[in-house]
Amino acid sequence: MNGGPALVSIMRQGSTLIASIHTALDDSELVRFEHDLVAQIGTHRSRGVIIDVAALDVIDSFAAHTLRRIAEMARLRGARTVVVGIQPEVAFAMVRLGMRPAAGGDHVTTALDLEEGLALLETAESGGPPGGAAGWSP
Amino acid sequence: MGGVDSGPDDRPADLPAQAVADLIPIVRRVVGGRVGGHPAAEDLVQETLTRVLAASATIEPGMLEPYAIVTARNVVASMWRDEDRKRRNQHRVVDLSEPESPEARLVLDEEQGAMAQALARLTERERLTLLAHEVGGTDTRTLAEQAGSTAGAVAAQLNRTRARLRVEYLLAARQVEPPTDRCRPVLIALSSADQRRQREVGAAQHLLECETCAQLSEPLLERGQHRDGTLRIPITADPDIVAARTAVRSLASSLAFGPTELTVIATAVSEVCRNIVRFAGSGEVVVELLDSPRRGLQVVARDAGPGIDDVDAAMADGFSTYGGLGLGLPGVRRLMDEFAVASEPGHGTTVTMTKWERKDHG
Repeated sequence: MNGGPALVSIMRQGSTLIASIHTALDDSELVRFEHDLVAQIGTHRSRGVIIDVAALDVIDSFAAHTLRRIAEMARLRGARTVVVGIQPEVAFAMVRLGMRPAAGGDHVTTALDLEEGLALLETAESGGPPGGAAGWSP
Repeated sequence: MGGVDSGPDDRPADLPAQAVADLIPIVRRVVGGRVGGHPAAEDLVQETLTRVLAASATIEPGMLEPYAIVTARNVVASMWRDEDRKRRNQHRVVDLSEPESPEARLVLDEEQGAMAQALARLTERERLTLLAHEVGGTDTRTLAEQAGSTAGAVAAQLNRTRARLRVEYLLAARQVEPPTDRCRPVLIALSSADQRRQREVGAAQHLLECETCAQLSEPLLERGQHRDGTLRIPITADPDIVAARTAVRSLASSLAFGPTELTVIATAVSEVCRNIVRFAGSGEVVVELLDSPRRGLQVVARDAGPGIDDVDAAMADGFSTYGGLGLGLPGVRRLMDEFAVASEPGHGTTVTMTKWERKDHG
Protein backbone atom coordinates (compact mmCIF):
# COMPACT_ATOMS: atom_id res chain seq x y z
CA MET A 1 0.00 0.00 0.00
CA ASN A 2 2.54 2.57 1.00
CA GLY A 3 5.92 0.97 1.10
CA GLY A 4 6.56 0.63 4.82
CA PRO A 5 5.56 -2.23 7.09
CA ALA A 6 1.88 -3.09 6.91
CA LEU A 7 -0.27 -0.88 9.12
CA VAL A 8 -3.03 -3.44 9.23
CA SER A 9 -3.45 -7.03 8.20
CA ILE A 10 -6.64 -8.73 7.20
CA MET A 11 -6.63 -12.52 7.41
CA ARG A 12 -9.30 -15.02 6.63
CA GLN A 13 -10.14 -17.93 8.85
CA GLY A 14 -13.06 -19.93 7.62
CA SER A 15 -15.99 -17.60 7.30
CA THR A 16 -14.40 -15.07 9.63
CA LEU A 17 -12.15 -12.15 8.74
CA ILE A 18 -9.59 -11.17 11.33
CA ALA A 19 -8.36 -7.63 10.88
CA SER A 20 -5.49 -6.53 13.07
CA ILE A 21 -4.38 -2.95 13.37
CA HIS A 22 -0.66 -2.91 14.01
CA THR A 23 -0.01 0.69 14.89
CA ALA A 24 -1.55 4.09 15.48
CA LEU A 25 -3.53 5.02 12.39
CA ASP A 26 -4.33 8.49 11.22
CA ASP A 27 -7.75 9.39 9.89
CA SER A 28 -7.06 8.69 6.23
CA GLU A 29 -5.46 5.38 7.10
CA LEU A 30 -8.52 4.46 9.13
CA VAL A 31 -10.76 5.30 6.21
CA ARG A 32 -8.64 3.20 3.87
CA PHE A 33 -8.79 0.36 6.36
CA GLU A 34 -12.56 0.70 6.46
CA HIS A 35 -12.82 0.45 2.68
CA ASP A 36 -10.46 -2.51 2.43
CA LEU A 37 -12.24 -4.40 5.14
CA VAL A 38 -15.74 -3.84 3.82
CA ALA A 39 -14.60 -4.85 0.34
CA GLN A 40 -13.05 -8.07 1.67
CA ILE A 41 -16.22 -9.03 3.50
CA GLY A 42 -17.84 -9.29 0.08
CA THR A 43 -14.88 -11.03 -1.57
CA HIS A 44 -14.68 -13.72 1.07
CA ARG A 45 -18.40 -13.94 1.80
CA SER A 46 -17.55 -13.56 5.46
CA ARG A 47 -20.11 -14.05 8.17
CA GLY A 48 -18.03 -12.60 10.97
CA VAL A 49 -15.40 -9.88 11.34
CA ILE A 50 -13.01 -9.40 14.19
CA ILE A 51 -11.15 -6.12 14.48
CA ASP A 52 -8.22 -6.24 16.82
CA VAL A 53 -7.48 -2.71 18.05
CA ALA A 54 -5.01 -3.58 20.80
CA ALA A 55 -2.27 -1.62 19.07
CA LEU A 56 -4.26 1.59 18.69
CA ASP A 57 -2.75 4.21 20.99
CA VAL A 58 -6.04 6.02 21.34
CA ILE A 59 -9.55 5.54 20.14
CA ASP A 60 -10.75 9.07 19.71
CA SER A 61 -14.05 10.18 18.31
CA PHE A 62 -13.02 9.56 14.73
CA ALA A 63 -11.62 6.09 15.34
CA ALA A 64 -14.68 5.13 17.36
CA HIS A 65 -16.93 6.50 14.69
CA THR A 66 -15.06 4.55 12.02
CA LEU A 67 -15.32 1.30 13.95
CA ARG A 68 -19.02 1.88 14.40
CA ARG A 69 -19.42 2.58 10.70
CA ILE A 70 -17.52 -0.56 9.76
CA ALA A 71 -19.72 -2.64 12.04
CA GLU A 72 -22.83 -1.14 10.53
CA MET A 73 -21.67 -1.68 6.96
CA ALA A 74 -20.59 -5.21 7.76
CA ARG A 75 -24.01 -5.85 9.24
CA LEU A 76 -25.63 -4.62 6.05
CA ARG A 77 -23.34 -6.99 4.15
CA GLY A 78 -24.42 -9.90 6.28
CA ALA A 79 -21.48 -10.11 8.68
CA ARG A 80 -21.27 -9.64 12.37
CA THR A 81 -18.44 -7.51 13.82
CA VAL A 82 -16.65 -7.85 17.11
CA VAL A 83 -14.06 -5.31 18.20
CA VAL A 84 -11.44 -6.86 20.45
CA GLY A 85 -8.44 -5.69 22.41
CA ILE A 86 -9.51 -2.26 23.62
CA GLN A 87 -6.91 -1.44 26.24
CA PRO A 88 -8.11 -0.45 29.71
CA GLU A 89 -6.71 3.09 29.53
CA VAL A 90 -8.13 3.51 26.04
CA ALA A 91 -11.51 2.39 27.34
CA PHE A 92 -11.25 4.88 30.18
CA ALA A 93 -10.50 7.73 27.81
CA MET A 94 -13.35 6.70 25.51
CA VAL A 95 -15.82 6.83 28.35
CA ARG A 96 -14.53 10.21 29.49
CA LEU A 97 -14.72 11.56 25.99
CA GLY A 98 -18.34 10.50 26.02
CA MET A 99 -18.58 8.04 23.21
CA ARG A 100 -22.03 6.75 23.78
CA PRO A 101 -23.95 5.31 20.91
CA ALA A 102 -25.27 7.89 18.53
CA ALA A 103 -28.99 8.46 18.13
CA GLY A 104 -29.49 5.18 16.27
CA GLY A 105 -28.36 3.22 19.29
CA ASP A 106 -26.19 0.86 17.29
CA HIS A 107 -23.81 -0.76 19.70
CA VAL A 108 -20.56 -2.23 18.57
CA THR A 109 -20.08 -5.67 19.96
CA THR A 110 -16.81 -6.03 21.81
CA ALA A 111 -14.82 -8.79 23.42
CA LEU A 112 -11.76 -8.83 25.59
CA ASP A 113 -9.40 -10.45 23.12
CA LEU A 114 -9.19 -12.42 19.91
CA GLU A 115 -10.08 -15.72 21.56
CA GLU A 116 -13.17 -14.31 23.24
CA GLY A 117 -14.13 -12.62 20.01
CA LEU A 118 -13.94 -15.84 18.05
CA ALA A 119 -15.94 -17.64 20.69
CA LEU A 120 -18.56 -14.93 20.56
CA LEU A 121 -18.86 -15.20 16.79
CA GLU A 122 -19.14 -18.97 16.99
CA THR A 123 -22.01 -18.85 19.43
CA ALA A 124 -23.72 -16.23 17.36
CA GLU A 125 -23.30 -18.22 14.17
CA SER A 126 -24.54 -21.51 15.51
CA GLY A 127 -27.34 -19.84 17.40
CA GLY A 128 -28.89 -17.41 15.01
CA PRO A 129 -28.73 -15.08 12.07
CA PRO A 130 -25.76 -12.72 11.80
CA GLY A 131 -26.13 -9.29 13.26
CA GLY A 132 -28.65 -10.17 15.87
CA ALA A 133 -27.79 -11.71 19.20
CA ALA A 134 -31.51 -12.03 19.79
CA GLY A 135 -31.53 -15.19 17.71
CA TRP A 136 -30.11 -17.42 20.32
CA SER A 137 -32.42 -16.71 23.17
CA PRO A 138 -34.95 -19.51 23.50
CA MET B 1 52.35 30.65 19.16
CA GLY B 2 55.95 29.65 18.72
CA GLY B 3 56.72 27.45 15.77
CA VAL B 4 58.80 24.33 15.79
CA ASP B 5 61.40 26.05 13.63
CA SER B 6 63.58 27.08 16.51
CA GLY B 7 63.82 23.49 17.70
CA PRO B 8 65.72 21.66 15.00
CA ASP B 9 67.92 24.69 14.23
CA ASP B 10 69.09 25.19 17.78
CA ARG B 11 69.85 21.59 18.39
CA PRO B 12 70.44 19.91 15.09
CA ALA B 13 71.77 16.79 16.75
CA ASP B 14 68.62 16.40 18.75
CA LEU B 15 66.94 13.28 17.45
CA PRO B 16 63.40 13.94 18.74
CA ALA B 17 63.35 17.31 17.03
CA GLN B 18 64.24 15.75 13.71
CA ALA B 19 61.71 13.00 14.26
CA VAL B 20 59.06 15.61 14.99
CA ALA B 21 59.99 17.55 11.88
CA ASP B 22 59.48 14.34 9.92
CA LEU B 23 55.90 14.31 11.15
CA ILE B 24 55.01 17.52 9.35
CA PRO B 25 53.49 15.87 6.25
CA ILE B 26 51.28 13.52 8.20
CA VAL B 27 50.15 16.23 10.60
CA ARG B 28 49.36 18.48 7.66
CA ARG B 29 47.29 15.72 6.18
CA VAL B 30 45.36 15.12 9.39
CA VAL B 31 44.70 18.80 9.95
CA GLY B 32 43.92 19.43 6.29
CA GLY B 33 41.49 16.55 6.28
CA ARG B 34 39.54 18.21 9.06
CA VAL B 35 39.66 21.89 8.42
CA GLY B 36 40.41 21.99 4.68
CA GLY B 37 41.77 25.30 3.49
CA HIS B 38 40.88 27.12 6.69
CA PRO B 39 43.28 30.03 7.22
CA ALA B 40 44.23 28.61 10.59
CA ALA B 41 45.32 25.26 9.17
CA GLU B 42 49.04 26.00 9.22
CA ASP B 43 48.79 27.39 12.75
CA LEU B 44 47.15 24.19 13.84
CA VAL B 45 49.93 22.13 12.28
CA GLN B 46 52.54 24.20 14.10
CA GLU B 47 50.62 24.01 17.35
CA THR B 48 50.45 20.24 17.04
CA LEU B 49 54.15 19.92 16.36
CA THR B 50 54.97 22.15 19.32
CA ARG B 51 52.93 19.95 21.61
CA VAL B 52 54.44 16.77 20.23
CA LEU B 53 57.91 18.18 20.60
CA ALA B 54 57.23 19.23 24.16
CA ALA B 55 56.08 15.73 24.99
CA SER B 56 58.55 13.85 22.82
CA ALA B 57 60.83 12.99 25.71
CA THR B 58 58.10 10.90 27.30
CA ILE B 59 56.87 9.20 24.14
CA GLU B 60 58.16 5.80 23.20
CA PRO B 61 60.04 5.83 19.92
CA GLY B 62 57.53 3.96 17.78
CA MET B 63 54.59 5.87 19.20
CA LEU B 64 55.50 9.31 17.94
CA GLU B 65 53.37 9.17 14.82
CA PRO B 66 50.15 7.94 16.45
CA TYR B 67 50.67 10.45 19.21
CA ALA B 68 51.05 13.23 16.66
CA ILE B 69 47.85 12.20 14.90
CA VAL B 70 45.87 12.16 18.12
CA THR B 71 47.34 15.50 19.14
CA ALA B 72 46.46 16.99 15.77
CA ARG B 73 42.86 15.85 16.19
CA ASN B 74 42.68 17.31 19.66
CA VAL B 75 44.12 20.60 18.52
CA VAL B 76 41.59 20.84 15.73
CA ALA B 77 38.76 19.88 18.05
CA SER B 78 39.77 22.42 20.65
CA MET B 79 39.92 25.10 18.00
CA TRP B 80 36.33 24.36 17.03
CA ARG B 81 35.42 24.39 20.67
CA ASP B 82 37.12 27.72 21.20
CA GLU B 83 35.39 29.19 18.20
CA ASP B 84 32.16 27.79 19.45
CA ARG B 85 32.67 29.27 22.84
CA LYS B 86 33.62 32.60 21.40
CA ARG B 87 30.54 32.50 19.29
CA ARG B 88 28.37 31.79 22.27
CA ASN B 89 29.93 34.33 24.58
CA GLN B 90 30.22 37.10 22.12
CA HIS B 91 27.13 39.27 22.32
CA ARG B 92 26.42 38.79 18.73
CA VAL B 93 24.93 41.72 16.96
CA VAL B 94 23.34 39.32 14.55
CA ASP B 95 23.17 35.60 14.15
CA LEU B 96 25.13 34.62 11.13
CA SER B 97 26.55 31.22 10.65
CA GLU B 98 30.28 31.31 10.19
CA PRO B 99 31.20 31.58 6.55
CA GLU B 100 33.15 28.54 5.58
CA SER B 101 33.69 29.01 1.88
CA PRO B 102 34.68 31.86 -0.44
CA GLU B 103 31.10 31.97 -1.71
CA ALA B 104 29.87 32.43 1.84
CA ARG B 105 32.24 35.36 2.23
CA LEU B 106 30.75 36.99 -0.82
CA VAL B 107 27.33 36.57 0.67
CA LEU B 108 28.69 38.13 3.82
CA ASP B 109 29.40 41.35 1.93
CA GLU B 110 25.79 41.51 0.93
CA GLU B 111 24.80 40.85 4.50
CA GLN B 112 26.92 43.69 5.70
CA GLY B 113 24.87 45.98 3.49
CA ALA B 114 21.74 44.73 5.18
CA MET B 115 23.36 45.25 8.56
CA ALA B 116 24.18 48.85 7.74
CA GLN B 117 20.59 49.37 6.72
CA ALA B 118 19.38 47.78 9.93
CA LEU B 119 21.66 49.90 12.07
CA ALA B 120 20.34 52.99 10.36
CA ARG B 121 16.83 52.12 11.52
CA LEU B 122 17.75 52.19 15.19
CA THR B 123 17.45 55.43 17.10
CA GLU B 124 20.57 57.49 17.56
CA ARG B 125 20.83 56.59 21.22
CA GLU B 126 20.28 52.88 20.67
CA ARG B 127 22.90 52.83 17.97
CA LEU B 128 25.51 54.70 19.98
CA THR B 129 25.06 52.55 23.06
CA LEU B 130 25.13 49.36 21.06
CA LEU B 131 28.22 50.31 19.11
CA ALA B 132 30.01 51.54 22.21
CA HIS B 133 29.39 48.16 23.81
CA GLU B 134 29.83 45.79 20.88
CA VAL B 135 32.48 47.55 18.90
CA GLY B 136 34.15 49.88 21.38
CA GLY B 137 34.06 47.24 24.08
CA THR B 138 32.78 49.64 26.75
CA ASP B 139 31.26 47.58 29.53
CA THR B 140 27.73 48.09 30.76
CA ARG B 141 28.79 49.64 34.04
CA THR B 142 30.73 52.39 32.32
CA LEU B 143 27.86 52.95 29.95
CA ALA B 144 25.49 53.13 32.90
CA GLU B 145 27.64 55.76 34.61
CA GLN B 146 27.69 57.84 31.47
CA ALA B 147 23.94 57.62 31.10
CA GLY B 148 23.20 58.02 34.81
CA SER B 149 21.58 54.61 34.89
CA THR B 150 22.29 51.16 36.25
CA ALA B 151 24.26 48.40 34.59
CA GLY B 152 21.22 46.14 34.62
CA ALA B 153 19.08 48.71 32.90
CA VAL B 154 21.73 49.27 30.27
CA ALA B 155 22.04 45.52 29.69
CA ALA B 156 18.28 45.22 29.32
CA GLN B 157 18.28 48.15 26.94
CA LEU B 158 21.06 46.50 24.94
CA ASN B 159 19.08 43.29 24.76
CA ARG B 160 16.08 45.12 23.40
CA THR B 161 18.25 46.93 20.89
CA ARG B 162 19.79 43.67 19.73
CA ALA B 163 16.35 42.16 19.37
CA ARG B 164 15.27 45.08 17.23
CA LEU B 165 18.45 44.98 15.25
CA ARG B 166 17.96 41.32 14.43
CA VAL B 167 14.51 42.08 13.16
CA GLU B 168 15.58 45.09 11.13
CA TYR B 169 18.49 43.14 9.76
CA LEU B 170 16.24 40.30 8.64
CA LEU B 171 13.84 42.72 7.00
CA ALA B 172 16.69 44.45 5.19
CA ALA B 173 18.45 41.23 4.19
CA ARG B 174 15.28 39.69 2.79
CA GLN B 175 14.13 43.01 1.40
CA VAL B 176 10.64 42.74 2.76
CA GLU B 177 8.43 45.36 4.28
CA PRO B 178 6.12 44.07 7.04
CA PRO B 179 2.60 43.95 5.61
CA THR B 180 0.81 45.05 8.79
CA ASP B 181 1.35 47.29 11.79
CA ARG B 182 1.34 44.29 14.06
CA CYS B 183 4.29 42.62 12.35
CA ARG B 184 7.16 44.60 13.86
CA PRO B 185 6.07 44.34 17.50
CA VAL B 186 5.49 40.62 17.03
CA LEU B 187 8.84 40.02 15.39
CA ILE B 188 10.65 42.03 18.05
CA ALA B 189 8.90 40.11 20.80
CA LEU B 190 9.98 36.86 19.17
CA SER B 191 13.48 38.11 18.62
CA SER B 192 13.89 39.04 22.27
CA ALA B 193 12.43 35.69 23.35
CA ASP B 194 10.23 37.63 25.74
CA GLN B 195 7.29 35.35 26.33
CA ARG B 196 5.21 37.84 28.25
CA ARG B 197 5.58 40.40 25.52
CA GLN B 198 4.80 37.71 22.93
CA ARG B 199 1.54 37.02 24.68
CA GLU B 200 0.74 40.71 24.93
CA VAL B 201 1.11 41.23 21.21
CA GLY B 202 -0.56 37.93 20.33
CA ALA B 203 2.55 36.70 18.57
CA ALA B 204 1.53 33.08 18.09
CA GLN B 205 -1.80 34.02 16.60
CA HIS B 206 -0.21 36.57 14.32
CA LEU B 207 2.29 34.05 12.97
CA LEU B 208 -0.54 31.83 11.85
CA GLU B 209 -2.21 34.69 10.04
CA CYS B 210 0.79 36.45 8.54
CA GLU B 211 2.78 34.53 5.98
CA THR B 212 5.60 37.08 5.96
CA CYS B 213 6.10 36.94 9.70
CA ALA B 214 5.83 33.17 9.71
CA GLN B 215 8.81 33.01 7.40
CA LEU B 216 10.77 35.71 9.17
CA SER B 217 10.13 34.13 12.53
CA GLU B 218 12.03 30.98 11.66
CA PRO B 219 15.55 32.35 12.09
CA LEU B 220 14.38 34.45 15.04
CA LEU B 221 12.90 31.49 16.85
CA GLU B 222 15.81 29.20 16.17
CA ARG B 223 17.77 31.12 18.75
CA GLY B 224 15.80 30.18 21.83
CA GLN B 225 14.17 27.12 20.41
CA HIS B 226 15.97 24.35 22.20
CA ARG B 227 14.39 24.72 25.58
CA ASP B 228 13.52 21.49 27.27
CA GLY B 229 9.94 20.83 28.02
CA THR B 230 8.45 22.84 25.20
CA LEU B 231 7.19 21.34 22.03
CA ARG B 232 5.79 23.07 18.98
CA ILE B 233 4.10 20.89 16.44
CA PRO B 234 2.71 22.29 13.21
CA ILE B 235 -0.59 20.69 12.25
CA THR B 236 -1.52 20.65 8.60
CA ALA B 237 -2.74 17.18 7.74
CA ASP B 238 -4.02 13.88 9.12
CA PRO B 239 -0.62 12.34 9.88
CA ASP B 240 0.22 15.38 12.03
CA ILE B 241 -2.59 14.42 14.38
CA VAL B 242 -0.93 11.11 15.16
CA ALA B 243 2.50 12.74 15.30
CA ALA B 244 1.19 15.35 17.74
CA ARG B 245 -0.48 12.95 20.12
CA THR B 246 2.57 10.66 20.05
CA ALA B 247 4.94 13.54 20.75
CA VAL B 248 2.75 14.93 23.52
CA ARG B 249 2.48 11.53 25.10
CA SER B 250 6.21 11.12 25.14
CA LEU B 251 6.74 14.59 26.61
CA ALA B 252 4.01 13.95 29.20
CA SER B 253 5.65 10.70 30.21
CA SER B 254 8.46 12.71 31.74
CA LEU B 255 5.95 13.70 34.43
CA ALA B 256 4.38 11.32 36.91
CA PHE B 257 1.43 10.48 34.71
CA GLY B 258 0.16 6.93 34.65
CA PRO B 259 -0.71 5.09 31.44
CA THR B 260 -4.35 6.07 31.73
CA GLU B 261 -3.58 9.75 32.07
CA LEU B 262 -1.15 9.56 29.15
CA THR B 263 -3.84 8.01 26.98
CA VAL B 264 -6.38 10.57 28.17
CA ILE B 265 -4.01 13.40 27.23
CA ALA B 266 -3.23 11.79 23.87
CA THR B 267 -6.95 11.42 23.17
CA ALA B 268 -7.61 15.07 23.99
CA VAL B 269 -4.74 16.18 21.76
CA SER B 270 -6.03 13.98 18.98
CA GLU B 271 -9.45 15.60 19.20
CA VAL B 272 -8.29 19.20 19.17
CA CYS B 273 -5.81 18.54 16.37
CA ARG B 274 -8.55 17.02 14.27
CA ASN B 275 -10.60 20.18 14.68
CA ILE B 276 -7.63 22.14 13.39
CA VAL B 277 -7.23 19.94 10.31
CA ARG B 278 -10.96 19.77 9.61
CA PHE B 279 -12.06 23.30 10.23
CA ALA B 280 -9.00 25.49 9.87
CA GLY B 281 -6.77 23.51 7.54
CA SER B 282 -3.67 24.27 9.53
CA GLY B 283 -2.49 25.44 12.88
CA GLU B 284 -0.15 24.39 15.61
CA VAL B 285 0.03 22.71 18.95
CA VAL B 286 2.36 24.01 21.63
CA VAL B 287 2.99 21.82 24.61
CA GLU B 288 4.66 23.04 27.74
CA LEU B 289 5.59 21.43 31.00
CA LEU B 290 4.40 23.54 33.92
CA ASP B 291 6.02 23.85 37.32
CA SER B 292 3.58 25.97 39.21
CA PRO B 293 1.23 25.94 40.98
CA ARG B 294 2.25 22.34 40.55
CA ARG B 295 3.67 20.14 37.89
CA GLY B 296 1.56 19.61 34.86
CA LEU B 297 1.27 19.69 31.14
CA GLN B 298 -0.30 22.46 29.14
CA VAL B 299 -1.42 22.04 25.58
CA VAL B 300 -2.31 25.03 23.44
CA ALA B 301 -3.92 24.23 20.09
CA ARG B 302 -4.20 27.21 17.86
CA ASP B 303 -5.43 27.93 14.39
CA ALA B 304 -6.26 30.89 12.23
CA GLY B 305 -9.33 29.29 10.76
CA PRO B 306 -12.89 30.52 10.54
CA GLY B 307 -13.35 30.46 14.30
CA ILE B 308 -16.37 29.34 16.26
CA ASP B 309 -19.45 31.52 16.04
CA ASP B 310 -20.93 30.42 19.30
CA VAL B 311 -18.43 29.04 21.76
CA ASP B 312 -21.15 28.38 24.31
CA ALA B 313 -23.05 26.25 21.85
CA ALA B 314 -19.90 24.36 20.97
CA MET B 315 -19.31 23.67 24.63
CA ALA B 316 -22.92 22.70 25.32
CA ASP B 317 -22.70 19.20 26.62
CA GLY B 318 -25.05 16.81 24.93
CA PHE B 319 -22.68 14.17 26.28
CA SER B 320 -22.55 12.51 22.90
CA THR B 321 -19.50 13.57 20.95
CA TYR B 322 -21.64 13.71 17.87
CA GLY B 323 -24.19 16.01 19.33
CA GLY B 324 -23.80 19.76 19.51
CA LEU B 325 -21.57 21.24 16.87
CA GLY B 326 -19.61 18.05 16.43
CA LEU B 327 -16.39 19.58 17.65
CA GLY B 328 -16.07 17.13 20.49
CA LEU B 329 -15.06 19.96 22.81
CA PRO B 330 -17.28 18.95 25.75
CA GLY B 331 -15.66 15.52 25.65
CA VAL B 332 -12.20 17.01 25.60
CA ARG B 333 -13.08 19.20 28.54
CA ARG B 334 -13.98 16.09 30.49
CA LEU B 335 -10.62 14.55 29.67
CA MET B 336 -8.54 17.45 30.91
CA ASP B 337 -8.31 19.23 34.27
CA GLU B 338 -8.49 22.69 32.83
CA PHE B 339 -9.93 23.71 29.55
CA ALA B 340 -10.59 27.00 27.80
CA VAL B 341 -11.62 27.96 24.32
CA ALA B 342 -11.04 31.39 22.87
CA SER B 343 -12.41 32.03 19.46
CA GLU B 344 -13.38 34.91 17.32
CA PRO B 345 -15.18 34.42 14.03
CA GLY B 346 -12.69 35.00 11.26
CA HIS B 347 -9.71 34.99 13.59
CA GLY B 348 -9.27 31.41 14.53
CA THR B 349 -9.58 29.37 17.65
CA THR B 350 -7.28 28.73 20.55
CA VAL B 351 -7.88 25.83 22.88
CA THR B 352 -5.83 25.82 26.05
CA MET B 353 -5.95 22.77 28.23
CA THR B 354 -4.01 21.49 31.17
CA LYS B 355 -3.52 18.24 32.96
CA TRP B 356 -2.00 18.40 36.42
CA GLU B 357 0.14 15.76 37.95
CA ARG B 358 -1.90 13.97 40.56
CA LYS B 359 -0.81 14.89 44.06
CA ASP B 360 -0.75 11.32 45.28
CA HIS B 361 2.04 10.58 42.82
CA GLY B 362 4.25 12.78 44.99
